[in-house]
Amino acid sequence: MSEKLNGYHVAFIIVMIELDVTVFSLPRILAENLGTNGWIGLLLLSAIAFANLGLIHLFHRVGRGRSPFEVAEQSIPRLLLKPAYILLAVFWITIGSFVCKKYVLIYQMVAFPTTNANLLYVLLAALAFYLLIKGIYNIGKAMTIFFYFTVPAALFAFYFKGQWELYRFTPFLLKGGTEGHSLKNWLEVYTIFVGYEISLFLIPFAEPKSLFKGVYFGHSLTTSVYVLLIIVSYGFFSFEQLQAMMYPLLNLFSYIELPFLNRLENLIFTLFLFSNLASLVLFGWMALMALRRAFPKARKNMLELILIAASLGIGSYPKILRDSEIMLRVVLYLETAIAFLLPAVLLVLAVYQARGKTPKPESGTPV
Amino acid sequence: MSDATSGNSGPNTDSEQFGSSTDNNGPAPDSGQHAPTSEDGGTTAATGQPQNIDAAQTASAAGTGSAGGSAPSDGNGNAGAQAAAPLKPLTMENLLREFNNTMDLKYRDFPANGVTAVYLQYMIDADQLYRTLVLPFSGVTDEMAGKLLEQAIFERANTLEDAVYAILYGSAVVFSGDRAYKLDLTRSIGRSIEQTETETVIAGPHDGFVENIVENLALLRKRLRSSHLKTVSLAVGEVTKTQVVVTYIEGIANQEFVGKVTERLKSIEFDAIYEANMLVQLIDDNPNSFFPQFVVTERPDAICSKLTAGRVVIFVDGSPSAVSAPSSFFEFFTSPDDYYQRWHVGTALRLLRIVGFIITVGFTAFYVSVTTFHYEMIPHKMLLNLTKSRSNVPFPPLYEALLMETTIELLREAGARLPTKIGQTIGIVGGIVIGQAAVQAGFTSNVLIIAVASSAIASFVIPSYVMSASIRLIRFPLIFLAGIWGNFGLMVGIAFIVIHLSGITNLGSSYMSPIAPMNLKDWLDTFIRGPFSSLRYRPSQVKSPNKQKNKMRK
Repeated sequence: MSEKLNGYHVAFIIVMIELDVTVFSLPRILAENLGTNGWIGLLLLSAIAFANLGLIHLFHRVGRGRSPFEVAEQSIPRLLLKPAYILLAVFWITIGSFVCKKYVLIYQMVAFPTTNANLLYVLLAALAFYLLIKGIYNIGKAMTIFFYFTVPAALFAFYFKGQWELYRFTPFLLKGGTEGHSLKNWLEVYTIFVGYEISLFLIPFAEPKSLFKGVYFGHSLTTSVYVLLIIVSYGFFSFEQLQAMMYPLLNLFSYIELPFLNRLENLIFTLFLFSNLASLVLFGWMALMALRRAFPKARKNMLELILIAASLGIGSYPKILRDSEIMLRVVLYLETAIAFLLPAVLLVLAVYQARGKTPKPESGTPV
Repeated sequence: MSDATSGNSGPNTDSEQFGSSTDNNGPAPDSGQHAPTSEDGGTTAATGQPQNIDAAQTASAAGTGSAGGSAPSDGNGNAGAQAAAPLKPLTMENLLREFNNTMDLKYRDFPANGVTAVYLQYMIDADQLYRTLVLPFSGVTDEMAGKLLEQAIFERANTLEDAVYAILYGSAVVFSGDRAYKLDLTRSIGRSIEQTETETVIAGPHDGFVENIVENLALLRKRLRSSHLKTVSLAVGEVTKTQVVVTYIEGIANQEFVGKVTERLKSIEFDAIYEANMLVQLIDDNPNSFFPQFVVTERPDAICSKLTAGRVVIFVDGSPSAVSAPSSFFEFFTSPDDYYQRWHVGTALRLLRIVGFIITVGFTAFYVSVTTFHYEMIPHKMLLNLTKSRSNVPFPPLYEALLMETTIELLREAGARLPTKIGQTIGIVGGIVIGQAAVQAGFTSNVLIIAVASSAIASFVIPSYVMSASIRLIRFPLIFLAGIWGNFGLMVGIAFIVIHLSGITNLGSSYMSPIAPMNLKDWLDTFIRGPFSSLRYRPSQVKSPNKQKNKMRK
């Protein structure tokens, strides 16, 4: 705990939590919900996410760098907060588990049709536990290395230079979505950004100066990776193809042929194990923070163990890919709401506290 | 001592035993008697059995005393100054009693002036003994002898333990009247400077450290002529009392690390230390990690560069290796050679080693994974060859790979244990077995041989033997994982290694520096070897108070 995360690591954490298995279906989701030239819609949505980050930044300013828990506990009785913490913890570990389970189910579909998906999931959960007990500073270090493993795979996009055609974008803007435009459709696309709200909880653990630089940089990086992949997919596949394919990026990568290797999606999709593990660990870490607050006297590694055990239980629930997708979508909708509401509520509290009397910041970092 | 204990079986045996050890010194309470005279910090505190001396405590006094000393032999003198738990008075009789049944203990007296010298015959330099003791003291009067003993080379010994350790470290203890003096007569024992066999370079200095710490420190002083180079001597090992010297450059090294190293060395309570590689395992942050955590090298030029980079270096008497701390994972992939070549070549070599690392860790495992689960990843032109060569092999790829990897490891280990001449035979036999016969017998496929051989070769590209051995070991779990879960298992294994590496700290600093925490300036001297004009700063990991190392403008 002696050292604080600097901006770089915060950026990598943000990228790794935002980037998860949903990216493989992203071009389809975009084509279905937003229609042609969906990347423009994605940029708009990314701007909304930026606004949300701005809200968190504002809270950071007004709250004078206090952790969200401190702010909440100053105004709300602990009796009310404790169940809220537990609920949030369960919810966050659920998101992490569903993300990982979906990844495992796809992996099962791609490579191991006869292997029990839960077995693969246990491996991931064990890794998550191993990382979770090392604390956020070391998680940050691991995320940095995972980042270097995962994100450069996006550079394969340039492989498609020859087959990529601008005319496949069509001159139409956001037309041809399967259900027309509605809040639900845009929300579904927006969920691919979910995860950035971890910045709220990183406040006490990061260097205050570089925290939000890192957060904004991380989010921009994720957005640019998304946009790059979408532009490649939109120019490589036809619009109808995109709508028809379940995981367009898998198809995209399977097209790559290197002199020594073919069917690179096997490798690249496996590399994404890191980013899904990252999502599980980082959501798990948010859950852990909430649980620590609810049970401050818990034994060392006990809460982590409970969380991972819960994750195993929750992760075993979605049995087939379709169910898993629906469940994941539902929790991501909820999480989107939380991402907006939580900082908003906290901001109100912080403003109220700042006005009422000069706040007495707790010294030291919270556990 | 045992007699006394059994004889006085009093009500509380503990105090009896305690008393028994001071028995022959008379009734005086030990601590009270010696407290005023003791100059050592730990003296009065340790009132335990006389032999069970906390080496660390004694060392602290010695260490501070020798800081800044310039002659390499000063370590010995100071090591001799260590004493704790004095229970018996320092007399000739007591000293001889400590060394009873010691055939190599000699003493020499000078009847004209009543001076007597006691020393271990084989530890000291006979010529020096003659010049500094025999010649001046022969036939001189009492008064003259007293004057002679006032010379600086004679250091007062205050306690019996002090005198005992002085003798053990190669000094003579000189008695004159009721006073005792230590005289350092250490003889250089062991081979002299030779080329290191484990870390050779093509261009660059060829001398290497040897087992003799005196030679090693001299070598260091010869290269680093700075009064800021500090040497602190400690004694480590409850029984062996091995001399360990902590060196650093004042003003460049971070005192926090110096303090941590010294503190950890002092806290070692292990009976014997024989080697630097053994010592580091007693002081590292993560004893259960499979990666070595401190760079250990036999090359003086490498050690000098570590010192000037702000690291702390530890020498162990009896070991040709010196330890540099704190270290990072990527430091194990650098060699002094990189700096002696043009920077382009140095850079290429560094990248080559990283590629070597990737091949070592992953190549065989990837082969197993692909040939077991992901045949579609092999281009169809290559697939024909591969299936043809695989078709004769009756085992699954996992067994095939384990078989070959084990064979290679056997050959390597056999080669390492055998004398060079027989080792060559092993190489030839092994080459035939692995190369041709195994394939013809239908044990393995050709492609696997290439994978196994290239990963074995790649592992030897890593300059640090200890690191290379660790990396070769972690291949096996990865091969297993790849054999069971294909690419998924391989990635799980890699994720585990990454998580493990991220958790390792080195004297509290990050092992993964400069990747995490990220420092792009350090990359210039880690993954590549930038031109010297670009290497302007010391590594961020060492947190040097003097960050800039290069003040030249292009």
